Amino acid sequence: MRRESLWDDWLKRSVPRLMLNCAVTVGSALLCLLLSPGRIPGMQLAGVGPNWILIWVVAWSIRRSTLQAAIAGFVMGLVQDGMTSPTPTHCIGLVVAGVLTARLRKDRYIQEDFISAALIVFVMAIVVETVTAVQYSLQGNRPLGEIWTYHQFIALSSAILSSLWAPIVSFPLNQWWQRINFLDQKYQ
Amino acid sequence: MFTLRRWWDRYRLQIVLASLALVSAVALRETNSAILYETYQVLTRPFQSSGEQDALLTNARVQELQQRLLELESQNQQLKATLGAASTPSQPGITAPVIGRSADHWWQHLVLGRGQQDGIRKSDIVMAPGGVVGRIIEVTGHTSRVLLLSDPASNVGVTISRSRYMGYVRGQASNRVVMEFFDKVPDVRVGDTVTTSSLSRLFAPGLPIGVVESVDLNKSPAPEATIALSAPVSFLEWVVVQSYNPPETQDSTSPDL
Repeated sequence: MRRESLWDDWLKRSVPRLMLNCAVTVGSALLCLLLSPGRIPGMQLAGVGPNWILIWVVAWSIRRSTLQAAIAGFVMGLVQDGMTSPTPTHCIGLVVAGVLTARLRKDRYIQEDFISAALIVFVMAIVVETVTAVQYSLQGNRPLGEIWTYHQFIALSSAILSSLWAPIVSFPLNQWWQRINFLDQKYQ
Repeated sequence: MFTLRRWWDRYRLQIVLASLALVSAVALRETNSAILYETYQVLTRPFQSSGEQDALLTNARVQELQQRLLELESQNQQLKATLGAASTPSQPGITAPVIGRSADHWWQHLVLGRGQQDGIRKSDIVMAPGGVVGRIIEVTGHTSRVLLLSDPASNVGVTISRSRYMGYVRGQASNRVVMEFFDKVPDVRVGDTVTTSSLSRLFAPGLPIGVVESVDLNKSPAPEATIALSAPVSFLEWVVVQSYNPPETQDSTSPDL
């Protein structure tokens, strides 16, 4: 009991709350980035693993404004560019995914939080891979047939896996952000 | 009472058999059908291959090949010495564990757990049991990133070791690469081995890459062959990094031929 009240006391003050929120946000993003080069056994389908970065961007964008979503997508895209190769860039795909997620009328179409995250991630994984494939096609140094055959393969496996693993990231994060939001409004 | 007795006399056998069947089924279920599997194993024993024999045969074959290779290598060294060719002393490479893959599925990278501190530099060659797998494109203090041969962005000049016909390979994002020939009618057959060519600027010549799996001579604009990489790219755990200084080039953006 005593511990809990201390914790609550601490969360009531706005500066520690902000710091803690930042730490959780950045920490989870870092964790997702660190997970992406790993291919954990049992978590991959024909050598393709879940797109953790996309899962994080969608989790972030679900309850945020378009601008916030776009910035998050852009930042994560930049980091992913650094981890792989800057051409073609990941920023466009992730920004599009973030903005679409933020603009989605979730309250109207999708009710259940748990399922909605998975569904959105499924669609966004396909969107992201398509954006990359279009960029490759515009670059024109690879045969078109090859690009789009490979796109089908990646888009489908990545969409399935990412949507399956999406709740593990988005559910706790969204709970946390909702709680912080609530406290923010309560103790202005 | 009399009717019950008559009923029992009539159905006794069926009832006993049915209960026996039920009891044994329950017993089997409880023991996870162990008896069934034991029986299956005994019955299929004549059809099972004994692993030991296979292993012995493979070992003998591997030993024979190793000895022949050693013999050929030493002959090669002698001939080169006679010719006065500049020999490249073979250095022991740096063994590095594979700690990750590309952070995206469009690229075929490996992340190694050794870096600058261990003597790895950019454009070093990465070998695995079976042959070349790629080259280093990025180095940090304790990690390095490998561009695999199977990456669509990697173009490597290669040659068919039997007929010396040349071409270059393009990655296919799997364990296969496509070789495009420079000649219209190359002498190539299924099963030919493919090595890096002496014209390659990114790799030392003569490193094994793979085996020709299928040939398409009618392909336009150039004939193509599909090559199966001999190194198991999809499940590498350790690789050997060998230092290599590529010759200076003026145009670094053109593909390596």
